[in-house]
Parts: sequence; structure tokens; C-alpha cells
Amino acid sequence: MVNSSFSYLHENVSYCYQCSKCSAGCPVAEDMDLLPHQIIHSLAIGEDSEALKSHTIWICAGCYTCAVRCPNDINITSVMDDLRKKSITSNLACPKPEVLKFHQTFVKDIQRRGRVHELRLMGEYNLKLGKPFNNVELAPKMFLKGRLKILPPKAIKGFKTWSKKLWNPKN
Amino acid sequence: MESEKLGFYPGCTLEGSSSGYAESMLKVFELLKIPIKELDDWSCCGASSAHALDHELHLALNLRNLSLAEKQDFKELLAPCAACYHRLISTNNEFYLDNALLASLNDQTGLNYQGKVKVRNILDFLIHQVGIEKIEKQVSHSLSSLKFACYYGCLNTRIPRLLPFDKVEYPEGMDQIIKALGAETVEWSYKTECCGAGLGVTAEEISNKLVSKILLDASAKEVDCIVVACPMCHVNLDTRQDKIIQQFDIPKEIPIYYITQIMGLAFGIEEQFLGIKQNFMPALQI
Ligand code: SF4
Ligand code: SF4
Repeated sequence: MVNSSFSYLHENVSYCYQCSKCSAGCPVAEDMDLLPHQIIHSLAIGEDSEALKSHTIWICAGCYTCAVRCPNDINITSVMDDLRKKSITSNLACPKPEVLKFHQTFVKDIQRRGRVHELRLMGEYNLKLGKPFNNVELAPKMFLKGRLKILPPKAIKGFKTWSKKLWNPKN
Repeated sequence: MESEKLGFYPGCTLEGSSSGYAESMLKVFELLKIPIKELDDWSCCGASSAHALDHELHLALNLRNLSLAEKQDFKELLAPCAACYHRLISTNNEFYLDNALLASLNDQTGLNYQGKVKVRNILDFLIHQVGIEKIEKQVSHSLSSLKFACYYGCLNTRIPRLLPFDKVEYPEGMDQIIKALGAETVEWSYKTECCGAGLGVTAEEISNKLVSKILLDASAKEVDCIVVACPMCHVNLDTRQDKIIQQFDIPKEIPIYYITQIMGLAFGIEEQFLGIKQNFMPALQI
């Protein structure tokens, strides 16, 4: 099979020739434990355990700089997405639980009515984090500036049932 | 121009914390006589969390909106939020490249999308559909005394596997628009450098560092304002800027405006109709 050894990947990482262009342009490289080209390399040689445990997949900013620059057209950003999912479904300990909690709270909020209610999202995320006052200094100003809507958006009819079939919050 | 065939996908931020973007865009479109209608019943595109957890969930969420647009007879769907735009257009492109994927997702979600809708970016639309000439003609209050840094951010131009509407690394369309309004734009290094908006809530220290580099470069170029075309960039560069300029020794506050707010001002639309009071940083002195 030409495809890489991992069926959960949407990308063929074996095209990589280790030019490191992805890492050179990555805006958060200095905060990563494994650089993007190292992630791709490990996957290309059939080893995913380090990548799945890395901080990198959780602090990737999703900016697609690497993806549009890769000379071999590997969408590295999408690889980061796949690794995140795999690490969750493999029940690995998440090194940046706040990121995971945020994404889960976000998706749950979408499922509630089809559109995100930012105020509720932030409140629920803080509760999940166990830090009820996280970022609250911004809230009054956001409100005064008309940037914080107190009332939730209207619920989309049938959305909840439809989306429950696609995504189980326990995933 | 294709009248009454243009749909508007606001997305959650334009309905929520960045309603000033939607407001100013609709005003500007009205003045330019471009009919646009909000997509009925739209739902969240999932950015930036759905795709971060599950690729198929991301596809399904966007499939729903594309399918609604097709059913409501929109030929084109304009998504002014760069994140929504990125999600919608990359989903559409993935379906275009893989018909079987579309068929199986249609099946799974009970939808029947045929792939007929074209997703449009706001900058692309303004430059290539409306045209610089028409924009120039609408100007009643030239911005000739002002200097702008056009900030495109990541998601407006970086779409893997698609022909870009502008240069990916150093786009110039927004600069052309601002120049048509009579103002000056600067050459600078951070046009498309990521501001880390996706990490603003969960890893603020990283995000602030990225924002500080953008602000420092813009401030070295002595700009009066940074112009954006993305609500995530706006929130990230504007709402925490007071803290960031202190922490990173940036000489002064820089107003952050949406491209449509700047166009509105040059077209003589009153500030109150452009959502400008939502901006945290001081208003531009014109
Ligand atoms: S840019 Fe592409 S080819 Fe180069 S190291 Fe990164 S993944 Fe490999
Ligand atoms: S998408 Fe992630 S890995 Fe790629 S350049 Fe951006 S932050 Fe780095």
C-alpha cells in the first residue's frame, strides 16, 4: 500500500522528504516539544506513540502555514487533527487538558441549538476547568461594548437530534 | 452581477461578539447595491473545535450549510469570517475531489447536496466581483491622511489544494481596496503571520506573544490602524491589546478595524451604523 502505516490519517505522510519547511514557518514552534517535521517523520517511519503524546498536537494553532508550504502537498494541519482524535479515542492522557476541554465544551454547545452562545460557552468552559473566574475581567467590557450577547441564539429546529447521530460527547 | 443569488453565512461570531463586522458589511453592500440574503436556518461551521476533534464531524456540519444554500437557490455563499470561510470552502473542495465521500456523507446525514454552491471570501468578492473601480467611485470621504497595515491573517488565503484568489504569502487585495479609499498602506512582514486566535482562550501566553509581534511590526511602521477581515483576528488583536502592549513594551495602542468599517467610513456612512463602538481600542481620528 502506498499510503502510510496509519489508517486513521487522512494524509499520505510518506511523501515527506524532511525538508523542515513546515517547522521553519510554524509560528508556535518554539513552544512545541516535537516539531511538525519530526511528527511527520515519526509517522512516516511507522511510529506514532510520541506524536500522540506530544504537546505539539494540542498547541498547534491550526494556521495552515505548514500545509500550504509543504513542497509535497502534505496537509500537516490535518495530520494534527487526526492525531488529536486518535489520542482521544486511545484514551491517552492529554498534556494540555484545557485545550481538549475547550473543544469538547464548544462542540457540546453547538449541539445544544446549532449555534454557539459565546457567554454560555465561556461559563461552561471555566466550570469544566475548575476556574470560574478565568478571563472574567474581559466580560464586563465585552458586555458594555455590545460584544457579549446575554440571550442565546435561536435554536435550529431538529438540529440537536440530527447532530447527536454524528457525534457522541463521550468520544 | 448575479443578483439575488448571493447568500450570506454570518456564522456564530458575526451573530455574537463581532456583530459590528456583519453590520458594517451589510451597510456597505447596501450602498454598493449588492443584494445579499442571509442563509436561512444556518448552523455553526464548527470552527475551530469540531475539526480539532473529528474530521467527519467538521465535514457534516459544513455539508449541512452547503446543502441549505443549494436548496435555497444560492449560487454563491459569502462567509466574511475567515474561519467559517476556510471550513466551508475546504469541505466543498474535499467533496469536489472525492465524489464518493460526498455521497456517503449525504447518506449518513440525510442530506442531498450536489456540490453546486460556490463559497466566497469577502476579500475575493470585493476585489474580483465588486471591483476596485466601483469601490473607488463610492468614496465620499477620502482617507488620504491615514496609513494602514493590512492584516490578512492565516485563514483568508491559506486553503490547501485550492487555487488562491490572491497571493498566499503576501496578498495585496486588501491593500488595493484601502488605496482606492485614498489611504496609504505599508509593506510589512506580518500580513499573514498567525495571531494565534485559536489559542486565545486556552493558551493565552502563546497567543499574546504572536499578537505582540504583529503589533510591534505595525507600530514600527507607524500605522494609524490595522485592518482585518476576520472576527477571530479582530477579537484577538483588539480586546486584549491593552494588556499586551504593556507586557511587550509596545509604544502605543493601535486601532483595529474591519475592512468593511473602513470602507463604510470612506463611503460617508455614520459610525453608529458600522459597529465601531464595539472596538476596544480608540477610534481612528479622521
Ligand atoms: S514541509 Fe512537507 S516535506 Fe518538508 S518536512 Fe514538512 S512535511 Fe516533510
Ligand atoms: S498549522 Fe500548526 S503545525 Fe502547522 S504551522 Fe500552524 S501552528 Fe504550526
